[in-house]
Amino acid sequence: MKTGRVIPFTTRLRDRTWLSEKAFQVALDRPGGFRFLSGQSIRIVNGPAERDYSLACAPDSELLMLCVRHVPHGILSTFLAEAPLGTSLTFTGPHGYFLFQNSSRPPVFVATGAGVAPFFSMVGAGVSGFTLLHGARTANELYYEMHLRAASALYVPCLSEGNAAGCFSGRVSDWAAEHLSPRAYDFYLCGSREMIRDVTRLADERFPGSLVHTEIFH
Amino acid sequence: MKTNVGSGDRGITSLLSGERVPKSHLRVDACGEVDELSSVLGACAAALSPAHTDLQREIQGVQSDLLHIGAWLATSPGSPTRQMLRTISPGRLREIEDAIDRLEAELPPLQSFLLPGGHATAAWAHIARTVCRRAERRVQSLAAEAEEPVTESAEGILPYLNRLSTYLFALARYCNKLHGVPDTTWKG
Repeated sequence: MKTGRVIPFTTRLRDRTWLSEKAFQVALDRPGGFRFLSGQSIRIVNGPAERDYSLACAPDSELLMLCVRHVPHGILSTFLAEAPLGTSLTFTGPHGYFLFQNSSRPPVFVATGAGVAPFFSMVGAGVSGFTLLHGARTANELYYEMHLRAASALYVPCLSEGNAAGCFSGRVSDWAAEHLSPRAYDFYLCGSREMIRDVTRLADERFPGSLVHTEIFH
Repeated sequence: MKTNVGSGDRGITSLLSGERVPKSHLRVDACGEVDELSSVLGACAAALSPAHTDLQREIQGVQSDLLHIGAWLATSPGSPTRQMLRTISPGRLREIEDAIDRLEAELPPLQSFLLPGGHATAAWAHIARTVCRRAERRVQSLAAEAEEPVTESAEGILPYLNRLSTYLFALARYCNKLHGVPDTTWKG
């Protein structure tokens, strides 16, 4: 049967780097035969617990990278935060359809927190020239900023708490409402449910004819 | 996987290919029918006793197919997303046909129309059959009225729903047999 079968892959935890107090990046060995496209995710399975994480690396990367938000008391994120390097892991995938597609409409990427992972992967695959509204609470949570800024036509860091030089003080949806010219865009939204709701609503009201691709907080 | 909450509060939803469309859109409607079919099948599987796990697994296989079909229906023709989607393979169609043959081999020849019902599992399977036919009609409408070329949407989906209806009829009769409940024939 062509549909529906999910094949598990086995990997090992190779490395872990804390990006801030609240998020870290893990590197996993890439199992032979595993292929994915930028924007896709894998589902880490640990006993009865399963969580999807977007891949934060180019499709030809030697290692598989994940950007993980550490959820207090979260089963999987705590496991990934504490497991000794070398720990064996199981995952399925690739999953998802959050893929960049060229079109005549200008692309607007909107990310909050660890939701920036798929965009980092897209940049690794050569995507550039987009507008990126990068939301975080504080400047030290603007993960992968340097790489993303370099590939963007317009990079807008938006801080929902506090101020920093060169950053917009407010939510990404606030910036979009105030500054985005009225026309149709291809929106790619990855991050919190609240951001996706707000920007989608904005797209419906202010930017008719836009496409809205969404991925909630991986 | 987390579910999106709130972006459809005002009756507009996103297709998998990104377009924002009203929830009354024919494409959304077709997806809804397929979703309803899967839910009814879930009720049928849930009503089966643990002694029939093979049948439950077979039903779950169909539910998995229906998720793939829903994804296809939720994507506009021409969208690059379509290239990522799985369609129903000829091999999968043959599996459904084999399942029909397997069930029918256990059943007496049909002599008359049946009144849908009997054991709860059979009743659910009959409901699933009628929902499946409705889903098939919606997909056909989508093919005929929307921008969907018939050849493309028919690529596995319409034949699959057609075979599935036959399977569900056989399943309903089989469920009655499994539970010792005779089918009720139409007396005219």
